Amino acid sequence: MILVLVVVVALAFDFTNGFHDTANAMATSIATGALTPKVAVALAGALNLVGAFLSVEVALTVTNAVVKIQDSDGAPKPDLLSGGGSDLLIIVLAGLIGGIAWNLLTWLLGLPSSSSHALFGGLIGATLAGLGTSGVNWNGDGSKVDGVIGKVILPALASPVIAGLVAAVGTWLIYRITAGVAQRFTETGFRWGQIGSASLVSLAHGTNDAQKTMGVITLALIASGHWTDTENIPFWVKACCALAIASGTYLGGWRIIRTLGKGLVEIASPQGMAAEGASGAVILISSHLGFALSTTHVATGSILGSGIGKPGATVRWRVAVRMVAAWVITLPAAGLVGALTWYVADLLGGGLLGAVVITALLTAAAVAMWRHSRKEPVHPGNVNDEWEAPAAHQTTAA
Amino acid sequence: MHTLYLEWQAIWKILVVGLILGGGLPALFALGIRAMAYGTGGDAEDHPAGVLPAPHPVGRALAYLIFALVLLAVALGILVIVASGFGKEVSFADVYPTLQDK
Repeated sequence: MILVLVVVVALAFDFTNGFHDTANAMATSIATGALTPKVAVALAGALNLVGAFLSVEVALTVTNAVVKIQDSDGAPKPDLLSGGGSDLLIIVLAGLIGGIAWNLLTWLLGLPSSSSHALFGGLIGATLAGLGTSGVNWNGDGSKVDGVIGKVILPALASPVIAGLVAAVGTWLIYRITAGVAQRFTETGFRWGQIGSASLVSLAHGTNDAQKTMGVITLALIASGHWTDTENIPFWVKACCALAIASGTYLGGWRIIRTLGKGLVEIASPQGMAAEGASGAVILISSHLGFALSTTHVATGSILGSGIGKPGATVRWRVAVRMVAAWVITLPAAGLVGALTWYVADLLGGGLLGAVVITALLTAAAVAMWRHSRKEPVHPGNVNDEWEAPAAHQTTAA
Repeated sequence: MHTLYLEWQAIWKILVVGLILGGGLPALFALGIRAMAYGTGGDAEDHPAGVLPAPHPVGRALAYLIFALVLLAVALGILVIVASGFGKEVSFADVYPTLQDK
């Protein structure tokens, strides 16, 4: 029964992962008008669906990067399995809840923050609460890049810089090369380039991100004794995760799309192509090297870079600073929610009752945030409106 | 410190290959656009009022060649994703890409 809750909440996480990250691939195409908002999200959703099915690679050890609740072959630690694995299930459930809560809050604020960081943060928090500091994989054994520091914190610092640099160089080159070509002509041409490069980013997103949820659900199934194969993932898990991430993507996180597409940089289609090209290249290369970077950090860095690389373009650093602040607190904030929900569940006996109560708390929080979002809705119709410059607002008030 | 060293090893590779593919392919595409504008002539290029640049068919041909190259590179990228999903790896040992087991 706890298992059912874990599966449902994991799929809900996958769904928030989808709409949180639509912006990474499609914000620039929507902002420049290369694709209409509806077509863009439909394309991104479809490609995420395809991408999720393409990723048959076993992602069962996804939690091993940050916490020690599994052995290296993917089997859950035996000492967590007493009583139908409920110890492990509660940790995973609390971790997922932490991840979802943070994803929803950042969506409400229109901030692109990494869904994988939210998930990892939640898991770390729940593990700290449940097993203490020894349950967390801080830095691996030092022989390879591993642990919270090696696989989460350092890559997060590096990825926006790498992507930003690549996009800045790309943008600069593009503007140098196309100098002397009529602007109308370049706009049309680069829109096609944008659509292509954005599609690539969507596909890569589906292959990378859906896997994480598949791994978590399969871990829960093994812990409760409903699945034993650590080499494969049940097909229904794969199908459900693919559908959850694709429908989330299709829903579109319009608030985040607006921030990334209009808020950070006034983007023209050559910049959009440079940004998505950089994102796609960096994401694919890094996952090919087994050094997965957060799609969100890469995409944001790229868009920022495309603003730096274009001569005379404005970058709204104030928006950028807000985003970076959100990234920094993602891990501890999701961790805090994860830890708190674990304590609540533990206080209620650490069994079914606890699991039901924390899931109900999450649902209540989600509904509250959704209702709050209705006060100032962002939707396909107004996603491209002019970005209200806070500075201009202040001068009128003064 | 050892972690930082390991990290740096991965980062510089991503940065170099990223600059080549992520910066180079869009630049190549831009070159295609440039060639296309040269090939199309007329209002596709910035020009002094009244003097329309003549179209150059060779520019068009070059543009199509460049776009084909970009598409090829993207197709290769997709192949890499799909292949790794099926436990295969794209190898460039024979210059042209071949699929092999990981």
